[in-house]
Amino acid sequence: MLIENMKMALSALRSNKMRSFLTMLGIIIGIGSVIAITSIGDTMRRMFSDIYKDIGVTQGFIFIGYWIEDERESDYFTMDDIARYKEVFGDRIAYADASASLSGEIRTRLTKKKFEFTGIDYNYMDVQPVTVRYGRYLNQSDIREQKPNCVMEASAARDLYGTENAVGRTFRIPVNGTMTEFNIVGVYEKEQSAIQKLLMGTGNGTGYGYIPWTLLTHPNDTFYQYHYFADPSMSEQELTEFNRELCAYIARTKDRKPEDFYLQTAQSEMGQVDTMLGGVSAAVGGIAAISLLVGGIGIMNIMLVSVTERTREIGTRKALGATTRDILIQFLTESALLSAVGGLIGVTLAVGLVSLGGAAFGLPVTIKPGVILMAVGFSALVGIFFGIYPARKAAERDPIIALRYE
Amino acid sequence: MTGGEAGRELIRLQDLVKIYDTGSLRVLGLDRINLRISRGEFVAIMGHSGSGKSTLMNILGCLDRPTLGHYYLDGTDVAEMTPDELSAIRNRKIGFVFQSFNLISRMTIEKNVEVPMIYGRVRPAERKQRARELLETVGLLSRMEHEPNELSGGQRQRVAIARALANRPPLLLADEPTGNLDSQASVEIMELFARLHQQGVTVVVVTHEENIAAYTHRIITFQDGRLISDEINEHPTPISEHRGLSGRMS
Ligand SMILES: Nc1ncnc2c1ncn2[C@@H]1O[C@H](COP(=O)(O)OP(=O)(O)OP(=O)(O)O)[C@@H](O)[C@H]1O
Ligand SMILES: [Mg+2]
Repeated sequence: MLIENMKMALSALRSNKMRSFLTMLGIIIGIGSVIAITSIGDTMRRMFSDIYKDIGVTQGFIFIGYWIEDERESDYFTMDDIARYKEVFGDRIAYADASASLSGEIRTRLTKKKFEFTGIDYNYMDVQPVTVRYGRYLNQSDIREQKPNCVMEASAARDLYGTENAVGRTFRIPVNGTMTEFNIVGVYEKEQSAIQKLLMGTGNGTGYGYIPWTLLTHPNDTFYQYHYFADPSMSEQELTEFNRELCAYIARTKDRKPEDFYLQTAQSEMGQVDTMLGGVSAAVGGIAAISLLVGGIGIMNIMLVSVTERTREIGTRKALGATTRDILIQFLTESALLSAVGGLIGVTLAVGLVSLGGAAFGLPVTIKPGVILMAVGFSALVGIFFGIYPARKAAERDPIIALRYE
Repeated sequence: MTGGEAGRELIRLQDLVKIYDTGSLRVLGLDRINLRISRGEFVAIMGHSGSGKSTLMNILGCLDRPTLGHYYLDGTDVAEMTPDELSAIRNRKIGFVFQSFNLISRMTIEKNVEVPMIYGRVRPAERKQRARELLETVGLLSRMEHEPNELSGGQRQRVAIARALANRPPLLLADEPTGNLDSQASVEIMELFARLHQQGVTVVVVTHEENIAAYTHRIITFQDGRLISDEINEHPTPISEHRGLSGRMS
C-alpha cells in the first residue's frame, strides 16, 4: 500500500512537472540555504580549530594592561619570575617563554632578506613540532648561556645560501642595538595546513628562524610578556580554570589585582569565533525557517488546488472502496514527497555550491551526512504538516457529492 | 463468477424514502419504495428523467443513504454503517459502472482495473494477473498499457466494467452505462452484461431506452420517485452466440 501510494504520488508530481517544481522552490531555497550555511559554518569552524591547533589551543599571553597608567618595573617579567611560575604550577605549564622576537635584514652574497626570529626555549618543539633537516635544534645550554645560535627555516636558508644545508654559516644582525654574529646550528621544516598556507601566504619574502629567548630581554633583564602553553591534556574547563589561576597568581606576586593584567588565550579567541559563527548560523537559520514556512504554505496551496481539481478522482476512488484513511494517506504521501524532493534538490544544490566554493579556495569542505538526512527528513515533515489540511479535505469528501462535481 | 446461490435474496428495500433537503426546498427523490432483487437477476430500471433512477442506484450502491426506511444488502442493514464500513461494502460487494466512465486519467487502464483491488489489499502479483484476465474478458488486453484518453467511449466503458468486476462483487450496478455511447457500442455493452449475468452476476442497469432494457429479464419502472411497475421480460433479446467477447470486441 505504501509503495502504491508512492507510485501514485510520483505520477501525480510528474504529470505537473512545472507546477511541482515551482511549488518546491520555497523548500529548495530553505533547505538549500540551511545546508549551505551549516556546511560553511562547519567548514569555518574546522578551519579555525585547525589554525588554533597549529598555533596551540592551550596557548596564552599575560602582560600588564595597556590601561594601567602607573606602570612599574615589577610589572615586567624576569627570567627568575618565569622559572618560579614553572616551579609553582609544575606540569600544568607545558612550555613558557617571553614571546619576544627579533626582526632584521640579512645580507649574503646572493641576496638580502627580511627575517623574523622567534625567541624560544629549548623545548619549544614539544608544543610546535618541526622537522629538523640538518644540524640540531636549540639545546638547554644555548638558552642558559644565551648563545647566539640559530635554527633556520629551510626555504629561507636556501634563499640566503643557495642550499638548505646552511649549518655552520654565520650572519650578523643587531640585538638591542649591538651587532651580533649568529651561528646557524640547524635547519628545520614546518608542515603547514592548507588553511595556514591560504591565510599566511607562502612567499611574502620574510624568513623565519628560532633563537634563544634569553637573548631578547628588555633592558634591565626583563620581558614585557609572559607566554605559555598549558598542559594539552587539560579539559576545556580545567584550562579556563588554570588560565585564571595563573593570571591571579602573577598579579598577586606583582602586587596587582588580577584585572590589571591582560590575559589573552587561544581558548577565549576560539570562543569568540565560535560565538560569531553561531550568530551567523542562527540568523541564516531564521531566514531558512521563514522560507521553509513560505514553502510549506506554497505546498498547502497547491495541494488544495490539486484536491479540488481531482474531486471526481477522489469520488471515484471512494466509490471503488477507498476509505477516508486511504485518501488521507494518498494526499499526505504526495505532499511529503513533493517537499522531500524539494529538500533533496536543495541539498544537492547546496552541497554542489559549497564543494565548488571549497575547491575554488582550495579548502577541504565539511558536509555532515547526518545534516543531509535531517534536512530531507525535515522537509518531508514540512510537507506532511502542510499537507494535513488539504488531505483531510480530500479524505472527508462525500463520495456522491464528489462524483457529481463538474 | 460470484453468483453464489442464485435465487437467494440480495437486495431488499423496505419503505425506503429519500428526501433531498436543499435548504430552501425539499425534493422527494424516492417515495416509499419496496423492492426485492435476488441473486442472479438481470434487472432494468426505467423511467423519465427526474423519476428517481439515479437516486435509487446511488442508494443501492451505498454511495448515498436513505432518509427513511431500510436497505438490506445481503441481509445487513446498510443504514447503520459508518462511512468506512460502507467503503468496504462498496469495495467487496458492489461493482459500479457510471454513465461518464469515471476512469482515472494519467494511469494505464490496467492500473485502473487494479484500483479496487488495491483498496481490497490484494497482493500485487495477484492484482496484475486478475487485471489482465478482466481486460481479456472485455476484449482490451492488447490495450493494457494505454491511458483512458487513448480509448473510445465504448472501450472506456468496457474498462469501467472490468474495473467494477475486479473484486468479484455479487452485485453490478450500472447507471445509464450506454448513455454516452452510440448504438453499436451500446449493444456491445449490453451483450457483455448479459454474458456476465449468464455467469451468475446480479446486474441492475438504468436506461431510458426500450431496446437496452429488452436485454434484461425484469423491467422496473419509476415515475416521480415511485415504483409504478415491475414486470418480467419473457423474451429477452438473445445475445449473438458466436461472437466471442474478445474476438468481437477488440
Ligand atoms: N443532490 C440533489 N439535490 C437536490 N435534488 C436532487 C439531487 N439529486 C437529485 N435530485 C432530485 O431528485 C429527483 C430524482 O433525480 P434523479 O437524479 O434520481 O433522476 P433520474 O431518474 O436519474 O433522472 P435522469 O434520467 O435525468 O438521470 C429529481 O427531481 C432531482 O431534481
Ligand atoms: Mg440519472
